[in-house]
Amino acid sequence: MTAYIIRRLLYLIPIVMGVLLVTFCLFTLVGGDISQQIAGKNADAETIAEIRHEYGFDKPLFLAWDSQFLAHFKKAFTFNFGRALDREKIGEKIFRGVGPSLALTVPMFFGTLVISISFALIVAFLRGTVWDHIIVFLCVAGMSIPYLSFIIFGQYYFAYKLDWFPIFYDPSRPIYLSIILPALIGIVAGLGSNLRFYRTIMLDEVRSDYVRTAFAKGLTARKVLFKHVLKNAMIPIVTNTVLSIPYLILGSLLLERFFGIPGLGYLMIEAINARDFFVLNAMTFIMALLIAFFTLVTDVCYAWVDPRVKFD
Amino acid sequence: MPAICILLLLISGCSKKDDDGKSGEMVLRYSLISKVTNIDPGNIQDVYGSQLVSQICESLYTYHYLKRPFEIIPCLAADMPVISEDKLTYTISIKKGVFFHNNPCFPDGKGRELKAQDFVFAFKRIANVKYASVNWGGLKDYIVGLNEFREYTKQFKKEYDVDYSYDVEGLQALDDYTFQIKLAKPWPQLINDLTGVVTAPVAKEVVDYYKIDAPVHPIGTGPFKLKTWQRGIYIELERNEHYRDDFYPTEGELSDIENGYLEDAGKQMPFVDRVIYRVIEEYQPAWLLFLRGEFDRLYIPKDNFDSAVDIVSKAPKEFMKDRNIEVTIKDQPSLYYLGFNMKDPVLGNNKPLRKAISFAVNREQINELMYNNRWRIAHSLVHPLLDGYNPELAELNYMAYDLSKAKELLREAEKIHGGSIPPLKIGWPGSDPFSRQFAQLIQRQIEKAGIKIEINYLDWPTYVDMMNKGQHQIFGSGVRFSSPDPLSVFSMFPTKYFAPMGNSFFYSNPEYDALYERAEVMFPSPERAELFHKMEKMVLEDYPAVFTTQRVQYNLHHEWYDNYKPHPFLYSHVKYIRIDSEKQRAYKELLKELKKKDQ
Repeated sequence: MTAYIIRRLLYLIPIVMGVLLVTFCLFTLVGGDISQQIAGKNADAETIAEIRHEYGFDKPLFLAWDSQFLAHFKKAFTFNFGRALDREKIGEKIFRGVGPSLALTVPMFFGTLVISISFALIVAFLRGTVWDHIIVFLCVAGMSIPYLSFIIFGQYYFAYKLDWFPIFYDPSRPIYLSIILPALIGIVAGLGSNLRFYRTIMLDEVRSDYVRTAFAKGLTARKVLFKHVLKNAMIPIVTNTVLSIPYLILGSLLLERFFGIPGLGYLMIEAINARDFFVLNAMTFIMALLIAFFTLVTDVCYAWVDPRVKFD
Repeated sequence: MPAICILLLLISGCSKKDDDGKSGEMVLRYSLISKVTNIDPGNIQDVYGSQLVSQICESLYTYHYLKRPFEIIPCLAADMPVISEDKLTYTISIKKGVFFHNNPCFPDGKGRELKAQDFVFAFKRIANVKYASVNWGGLKDYIVGLNEFREYTKQFKKEYDVDYSYDVEGLQALDDYTFQIKLAKPWPQLINDLTGVVTAPVAKEVVDYYKIDAPVHPIGTGPFKLKTWQRGIYIELERNEHYRDDFYPTEGELSDIENGYLEDAGKQMPFVDRVIYRVIEEYQPAWLLFLRGEFDRLYIPKDNFDSAVDIVSKAPKEFMKDRNIEVTIKDQPSLYYLGFNMKDPVLGNNKPLRKAISFAVNREQINELMYNNRWRIAHSLVHPLLDGYNPELAELNYMAYDLSKAKELLREAEKIHGGSIPPLKIGWPGSDPFSRQFAQLIQRQIEKAGIKIEINYLDWPTYVDMMNKGQHQIFGSGVRFSSPDPLSVFSMFPTKYFAPMGNSFFYSNPEYDALYERAEVMFPSPERAELFHKMEKMVLEDYPAVFTTQRVQYNLHHEWYDNYKPHPFLYSHVKYIRIDSEKQRAYKELLKELKKKDQ
């Protein structure tokens, strides 16, 4: 297993290099020179030239020691991403956004996971009954309502009308007060699709011979579902779950924007709107690293949850 | 895992412990619909930055808060400038006893007294090529020796390496309290520019101390100092405890007494202790927070306008009246238009085509559908609030809607073009629902005349880049004027100001250029007004754009928000505002009562 992990870690090197090459091409070659944008609408050529120099856009692209490509590599490997267009250090910007983003997405993620898996087991057990039909109907209805509608309604009704939660994040108050409502909205909005997904997985398992045998042996429904069915359904659950973890850091774009949560989702959309390629570059690189790492974790987890999986 | 969640919440919750409810404090709370990207006075270009930094940094002159027509008065200057006979030398005496905010960049952290040298430094800094100020274009060629200083700065590596002792003949501190500007050519708008925060004094100590981080430390002499700037989220200003003597005006318009604007006459400003700005880019939360009383003033979102204001009487509706919410209307000197690229082979040489498009655009419908009839239809280039507005132009119907005339003109245009007109492309900034609805409305209107239109939705930087390179065929745009002097309107059309300067139309008319050269150096006079009238007609008759609307902003504010009189050119209004704390406290009770009634 150790050899496998080392081998997979070594595979990461070309992947990361590839990501750096792609991001460089995307942001530098395709994205174009943003000096004019930084200089403002009516800037003269001299000012634009000075900005090009300051940001290194006047350097050769590839074939030189001081090329933009090498500078891009250096920034990534030293995690010194420089400054954003608003002159704040990108590292500090990202570090500051991680906490609020995770504070929102982690409870949302685990809330959705626990509720949808639990319900999926129950629904799978009650398949074909009225309860199954009602829950499936509610899931489809939930999936059909736009995410934005959940947010607008939740904010208006629970925060404004009933005054149960803050309407918007206020930095003078602890952030957890402002996280509860968006997290609940995120959980409710995500339940439909997740529950249906896990229900399908559970149904496949519930129909298996070993489940019939277990019931025939006289095991309780609870024991069959949570000890046997859940364990056998773990591979798709692990795949879905572990691969979602890196995206938690990115936060939730709409929820952060509507509730003012100063997370990375908000940062990302701000950077896209402002064409701040420095921030986007850094975020893309970090995301690529996380995805590569968690893909490895997923593979290791397979062996942990399913003894049939062996590392060669 | 639950433990990790709790830990994350606790860590995140530790960011800030302050509140906005310390007893007896007057706190102003605003929402910003866009984030402030720049707080460095020398590099500010946008309205939000100006609004914020004008509370922190003061300039030599300002506008009288209450008087109309608008009047420029001394701010950091002790008096109005002494202008030499040849109009080339401005000698300005500086107020004594004005101090910069306390800051670690000064010895012992105590702000030192403002001196004439700080103005010299501020101007030189904008000229410093390594500082790359977006405002250099406004000073270029005007001040004796400043272009040479810019050349000199090119040899340095960094902005803060530049030796500012290099003498610039046109910028002199004659003594600590006398600042002199020598001009290379007359610059009648200089006094207007000296009201802007861009020309605010900068202490050299700030740049020497903070170096690369100096742009995020605006240290001024203003009534407030920056306490917190959480980029894109939250800004907090606190009262400058060493603020100079600055008293609320004792005179204004006749109606100001009856409107209660003079109740604080002669009192020391500012009135509030802290100012909080929260960036809320979505309208719903800002609207709900305002109704909850958590903001003092709010720009009315388009979708909430009908429930807030009766457009005929311009008064608040019952729902607002129940909450004692008031409406203020702020006319903004501006001009919105669909610009034509005059270098484009289809449009540039085909005046009937441009005219046909102009006649096909129904401005009344735009105002009704896109602005709830709030805005003003443009009948001239010069806004009614600017000097030299010509009301007669409204009679000449340059901006009329006449579909049959548009169709007639199109036939003429096709003859010139030598066949049917190919589809025309409009470059449109933004692709949000409002922008799309707007662009599609324009598209439908023009297509009714038989002209095919394609819309190219672009992000702002790409849109600007294409505009500066003359790559749009037609583009949706607008401009806001920052002083009552109409010259800035006319600087949108001379050949010498082709984009990236003001002329994005690439309009070129030698006759216009000649008149502009004359008017540019003239001080306000009947002769200059006559030139402007001629130039305005010239542009209108050439149709380099479809001029559509002028912005009128409707704001709501709570009854406790006192002394607010909208001023289109003054950004430093916060010091004049007072909060009636009793009324503010009573609002919560009022909301409870209204809730009971609803039930």
